[in-house]
Amino acid sequence: MISICPYLHVHQPYRVKRYRVFDIGREKEYFNDESATDLNNRFIVEKVAEKSYRPMNALLEELLAAHPEFCFSLSFSGTVLDQFEAWAPDVLESFQRIIATGRVEVLADTYHHSLAFFYSVPEFERQVTKHEERVQELFGYTPRVFRNTELSYRNDLAKWCEDHGYLGIMAEGWDPLLGWRSPNFVYRPKGTDTIKVLLKNYKLSDDLAFRFGNQGWESWPLSTETYSEWVHSHHGNAQTINLFMDYETFGEHQWSDTGIFDFWRSFPGTVMSDGETTFKTATQTVESYEAMGEFDSPDILTWADTDRDLTAWVGNDIQNDAIATIYRMEEDVMALGKPDLTEIWRKLQTSDHFYYMCTKYWADGDVHAYFSPYESPYDAYIAYMNAVSDLQLRIQEAKRAQATTTPAHAVAATAPRTKQEGWLLALWRRLHTWLKQRWEKVQASINRT
Amino acid sequence: MAERLPKPGHFVNTQAKISNRYKRDMMEGNHLSRSIISSLLSCRHMKVLTFAWDYPPETTGGLGMACHGLVSELGAYCDITFVLPRRQRVSPSRCNFIFADVLESTTKSETNVTVGTYSQSDTVVRYYSQKLEKMIYGPLFEAARAFADRAHVIAQTANHDLIHAHDWSSYLAGMAAKAASGKPLVIHVHATAYDQAGGGSVDPQIFAIEQHAFAVADSIAVVSNYTKTILVERYCVDPEKIEVVYNGAEVSTPIYYEPSLCELKAAGKRIVLYHGRITIQKGLDHLIRAARLVVDTDPNVLFIVSGSGDMEAQIMQQVGELGLSENVRFAGALWYEERDRMYQSADLVVMPSVSEPFGLVPLEAIRYGTPVIVSKQSGVAEVLQHALKVDFWDVEEMANKILAASRYPIMYEQLKRESTLELLKVTWHRAAEVVRSLYEKLTTKLQQTFA
Repeated sequence: MISICPYLHVHQPYRVKRYRVFDIGREKEYFNDESATDLNNRFIVEKVAEKSYRPMNALLEELLAAHPEFCFSLSFSGTVLDQFEAWAPDVLESFQRIIATGRVEVLADTYHHSLAFFYSVPEFERQVTKHEERVQELFGYTPRVFRNTELSYRNDLAKWCEDHGYLGIMAEGWDPLLGWRSPNFVYRPKGTDTIKVLLKNYKLSDDLAFRFGNQGWESWPLSTETYSEWVHSHHGNAQTINLFMDYETFGEHQWSDTGIFDFWRSFPGTVMSDGETTFKTATQTVESYEAMGEFDSPDILTWADTDRDLTAWVGNDIQNDAIATIYRMEEDVMALGKPDLTEIWRKLQTSDHFYYMCTKYWADGDVHAYFSPYESPYDAYIAYMNAVSDLQLRIQEAKRAQATTTPAHAVAATAPRTKQEGWLLALWRRLHTWLKQRWEKVQASINRT
Repeated sequence: MAERLPKPGHFVNTQAKISNRYKRDMMEGNHLSRSIISSLLSCRHMKVLTFAWDYPPETTGGLGMACHGLVSELGAYCDITFVLPRRQRVSPSRCNFIFADVLESTTKSETNVTVGTYSQSDTVVRYYSQKLEKMIYGPLFEAARAFADRAHVIAQTANHDLIHAHDWSSYLAGMAAKAASGKPLVIHVHATAYDQAGGGSVDPQIFAIEQHAFAVADSIAVVSNYTKTILVERYCVDPEKIEVVYNGAEVSTPIYYEPSLCELKAAGKRIVLYHGRITIQKGLDHLIRAARLVVDTDPNVLFIVSGSGDMEAQIMQQVGELGLSENVRFAGALWYEERDRMYQSADLVVMPSVSEPFGLVPLEAIRYGTPVIVSKQSGVAEVLQHALKVDFWDVEEMANKILAASRYPIMYEQLKRESTLELLKVTWHRAAEVVRSLYEKLTTKLQQTFA
């Protein structure tokens, strides 16, 4: 008996428009491109909704109705949910219907699809919380399995997830880390006690995500029968087949004319026809199987390229410069506490911005070029840094404004407004001095010893 | 570069060439690569009759340098007989030379024919005054026709399997040779009448020659996809017939000179260099408009214009009108050491061409470690990834990128480092490989037709 754990990742970033040097200090909007290019976020969401989200959701609803055993998991970035809400509310509603069946799990994620964990854990935690609240609000659901941006993973992230109550976490089933072992089992992340890691079967996942429509591929055209045979060949030597991919694989990366929708329509029926194969959500998978061994990833592992590291996002100087610049602003942004500026700052943390600046393999016109709305990585960097420069100016301005108004605020905040408040304040002050004295005493005694 | 006059009938040892190629392949680790085997089997017999207008060291312009670069690599695969219109000094090369004017007595003096080193190469700025340039047309067509007459005779006597004609001035010669021997003709397009016109009106005579040659040719080599598009769209050439052969770059370590413009740089100025002829084709007027926007944001950017041409007065007037006299300096046409020093001293080199089949200037700048902005309407933009690119007409974007290059030092350093590395991949060896397979395709096609 093996189970299949499909997980589809839904995401769209807020792409920065062609923001020019002389726009700095003058233009306050960074994400509102209105051209008919792939920089126009609204245009993209509407296009992909038409090509992928609407037909695929209809198909998924159909499959959920037809096969009571069929279930799967989804993850959403907060940025895509916001864009659905603004420009394709019907898509959001169809996701809500699917999730309301109770057979579709939603995973935890960072709200802004960021790499914050590797740059600022406090910021990462704030984004995870924001995401959880949003998922709760829209789907009435609290995620129990975590997936990080671009499936990026490290031992300490697994530890963090365990400490924060998650049952499972997802990662790439990368051979150099697994050695002779198979990704088709559940493992225990190194340094943890209870949490389990689900590893992507990249062979079977990428057959759909990358190779399905490639006419030069030896297995093209891929039939559900062949694919089901590949899945069945794991019988006796696997617990779970984890098929992790972008949701947009269906209809956007692989166009409808490749036959991807027809493939997926017949897949559940065909694969379950042997009576030995079933579907499970991420939580069900984690709960059904015992960990078979330890999974150790001391360095960052992702699902990208042949390197499976972060070099597609932070592999060259301009990428490193851009990401360092944005996280350097954290202190100022947090100190200001202005929701609008914080939100813009976070939108600029989305990993896609750095991906567009990737120069790796670029000459070959590969997948990076396909996914980038910019003509060149340098164009991406210039637009991004110009926007960041403007944000920095706004932050400095806001700081100055706050500095001039703070004394008044401070007085207003500390001066008691009611009798009760005054009493509480006095109590607090007494408590504070007492604690301070005690603390000094303790410190002095430590110093003596 | 040593110079010599080759002996008539200069013998080329094919065997030695193959063994050289073998040694190189062994050093590169391609043991008994396909290239050697095919060299041994087929190319040994492939004899190519090549026609071109000029050759180094008589010229350092794009066409001559391109022919030299290509021949130096291609000579390893084929026996090349290089036909030039007149007797001249030639740089050492892997080919035999035939000078068309030596075949028969001619009443014309050599100086008369020299007029033919026409304006398409940048060298014209150095060699000829503007007055002469205007007079070129009459004698040049005559010279091209005379070249064709002699090509006809040469093709009848010289043994060859293929004909390769470079640039429109040799198209007539190439067609004449084909008419004489019936061998396949490769036309090599380094520029078209459309590039010269820069969006203006096209020279009808050149256009007629080009269109005729493209129709007659068995295959057409172009220097970029950009040029391929022009051929397909403007001349209605079948895209199947066109092969893109990117030019190579000079990659030897350049000489480093004492830096110049030190005082300006010490004063915090950033130097943006334009180098090229000042004609409508080169798009300098767009750069000047961008300069206005740049200076509005950052008055510390200084533009230096090196070159001359028929638009010079117009550009100077434009600079005056835009109030840019402080920020745009005219250096006249700089060559050799002066030019190279300027490449080294500049912070950025901009090539804003309206239509550029390939474009040598950015490659030269990169060789001296200076990042470049190139127009997307150029062939060189296709081979350079680590360069900033703009549409020539998008003045705002041009200004944005000039400003960004000085504003973001980390990007600037990355461009500088990566473009220098990238230059090593833009080789004549790569170009020769493409031409060789083109030759093979044409000769096998011919064999099949006979079989």
